[in-house]
Amino acid sequence: MKNIAIAIFVALIIITLSLYLISFQVRETESCLKTTFGKATIEDEITRPGWYFKWPFPIQQIHRFDSRMRTYEVESEETTTAGGDPIIVSTYVVWKIARPLEFFNATKTVKRAQSELLHSRIRNTQNNVIGRHYFSEFVNSDQSKIAFEEIQKETLKTLQQDIEDTKCGIEITALGIKQLKVSEEVSKEVFDRMRAERNRRAEVITSQGMGEAIKIRTDAKSKAEELITAAEARATAIRGIGDAEAAKHYKKLEADPELAMLLRDIGALQKILEKRATFVTPTDVRPFDLLKGLPELKPAKPDEPEK
Amino acid sequence: MKEQKEDNKDVRVPDTAKPTVHELDAAGRSLSEALQVSFIILKVIMIVLVLAFLASGFKAVDSNEQALVLRFGKIRGVGEKRLLGPGLHWILPYPIDEIIKIPVETQVNLPIDSFWYFQTQQEILSGQMRPVRPDQPLKPLQDGYCITRGEKQDEVIGDFAGSDYSIVHSKWQLTYQIDDPERFFINVYIEDVKPGDIYFDVITGSVEPLLRNTFEDAVVTALVNYTIDEAISSQDRIPKHIKRLLQEKLDKIESGIKVVSVQLTNSECPRQVKKAFEASTTASQESETEITNARTYAANTLNEASGPVAEKLYAALHDESIDEQTRELLWPQLAGTAREKIADARTYRTEVVERARANANYLESILPEYRQRPELVLQKIYLDAIEQILGNNADEKFVVQTTKGSKGTQIRVLLNRDPKLKSKRSNEQAEQQNQQTVNR
Repeated sequence: MKNIAIAIFVALIIITLSLYLISFQVRETESCLKTTFGKATIEDEITRPGWYFKWPFPIQQIHRFDSRMRTYEVESEETTTAGGDPIIVSTYVVWKIARPLEFFNATKTVKRAQSELLHSRIRNTQNNVIGRHYFSEFVNSDQSKIAFEEIQKETLKTLQQDIEDTKCGIEITALGIKQLKVSEEVSKEVFDRMRAERNRRAEVITSQGMGEAIKIRTDAKSKAEELITAAEARATAIRGIGDAEAAKHYKKLEADPELAMLLRDIGALQKILEKRATFVTPTDVRPFDLLKGLPELKPAKPDEPEK
Repeated sequence: MKEQKEDNKDVRVPDTAKPTVHELDAAGRSLSEALQVSFIILKVIMIVLVLAFLASGFKAVDSNEQALVLRFGKIRGVGEKRLLGPGLHWILPYPIDEIIKIPVETQVNLPIDSFWYFQTQQEILSGQMRPVRPDQPLKPLQDGYCITRGEKQDEVIGDFAGSDYSIVHSKWQLTYQIDDPERFFINVYIEDVKPGDIYFDVITGSVEPLLRNTFEDAVVTALVNYTIDEAISSQDRIPKHIKRLLQEKLDKIESGIKVVSVQLTNSECPRQVKKAFEASTTASQESETEITNARTYAANTLNEASGPVAEKLYAALHDESIDEQTRELLWPQLAGTAREKIADARTYRTEVVERARANANYLESILPEYRQRPELVLQKIYLDAIEQILGNNADEKFVVQTTKGSKGTQIRVLLNRDPKLKSKRSNEQAEQQNQQTVNR
């Protein structure tokens, strides 16, 4: 019994070990290429995960490729647009190994793929595509004319086509421009323009403000004047009513117009001389004639009227 | 496993040698006993090892993680069952099953400073800004910035149209989270975890270049659609736009990453043009002050003229549809100069009427007497008036003796004029003149 148990145990171990030699796993994150004496065909590509069999080492060999996405960026570079404007862009791509056989034949390692294959191709495509577009398509004060996203898409398509044609097993999944800059010289010009634009705007704002303020002031002034004029008109009307009412009383004066005029004159005289006045008079005016001496006066007879 | 096998061989060698040392009785027996004991120990060890092997299938998943199980390299299960939540799980031991833990709950912050101008380490630490000359250019390889579009102009100026872009500096913070562990695991490149590395740090470190690139792409793409004023006024619209763009890009490559938030932590116009920007801000503030002052002046003027009812009354006077009655209701509410004018007129009215009445009554009252004795009455009235004038009113009186036949005699009176009087009068004159000029 003991021996049987041991035998099973040993057998298990031997099976496990031999399975290691003749089978292999492909993880979700990778793809494999099975070479027979160094040679491989398209059937030897294994891109689906799972458990596969092979001949042991010297006969068949497994090459594993990480099939996950990697990013690769090209350093900033100056290029020119269709209009001849210098522009500095930096492009990145997201790529992965899609076809292990092609990749194995073309480059074998990720590092070489990036530095030898991708670098120059990205640069070329980027410069070509940008050279086909005007700077005003990158940025424009009219939003509808901005084609920045379209340019990126065009670059991606061109690069995808290019990479596919080279049959290096690489697939580009995304591409983007992550820096969009202008040259040193141009940046100075931009600053000058920005400054001028700001100054212009400041002037516009100031003059608009001044204009508005003046308008408010004059509006208020004319309103106030108009109101006062209206009030004055009303006041004149009231005065007129007063005068009319007073005129009714004048009728009574008609009883003796001369006396009325005299009374009026006296009243006026009193009023005129009401304030500080210097009075010079000769002595032959009543009652100052009294100063010359007492007049001869006879008592009037009661029935004789005074002259 | 290998150790186990070697142990087995060690056991078997003495086992086969047993019959050859059969004669050695005591020694042999003790040896066989020792062997039996060691055999039992070996069995125990084997059982323990098998148990340990099976127990190695127990895996703990942290509360912030979710886990995938790979069976022979392929994700096990279907649908919802593919994901293991936090807790203890048992899977088949290596090399059949493999557990992949993905930290899904943890949000990671990624600050992006690559659109900011170049600062030395010292400047960043001290927080001080290096002064720049207004004509100092931005070095494209050193200083970061974005290009924003110009203000849309009504009139298009030939070839120059649309090229009036601006430059803006900005700092951002991206917060992301792994949303779909399966997609993330399959598609996103993660470096191998080396001994000493923290698994979580390895993940964030590996994802960073991808996120950084896509994020910068989204920022550049979005900002060309905004003006510099929109960019520096920290509007919510721009981060939202960028978040949408970034999420689209991440979804397109099936990264399984979710953008939690995009924040614009800082945005500034270039230092070289700061003065001009500040001047324009000052200008708008100044013009606002100017307008406020004018409004105050307007309110004061109207108030002075006719009080709080001014605007209403003014509107009523100019609105044909308002009837006379409503207008009449407004008039009594008047205040200020206008009210004064009307009040003056009222006083005048009363005065003039009363005076006329008084005069008439006076005439009426003296008329019967006058008719009887006109001389006397007239004399009395006349002298009363002279008396009043000379008694109370005249300050100085001169009575000049006249002699008959002395016509042509000159009388010179040196009037000592009151200096106060003169100055007062001239003041009045000056005032009148002033008023005349003002009225003009």
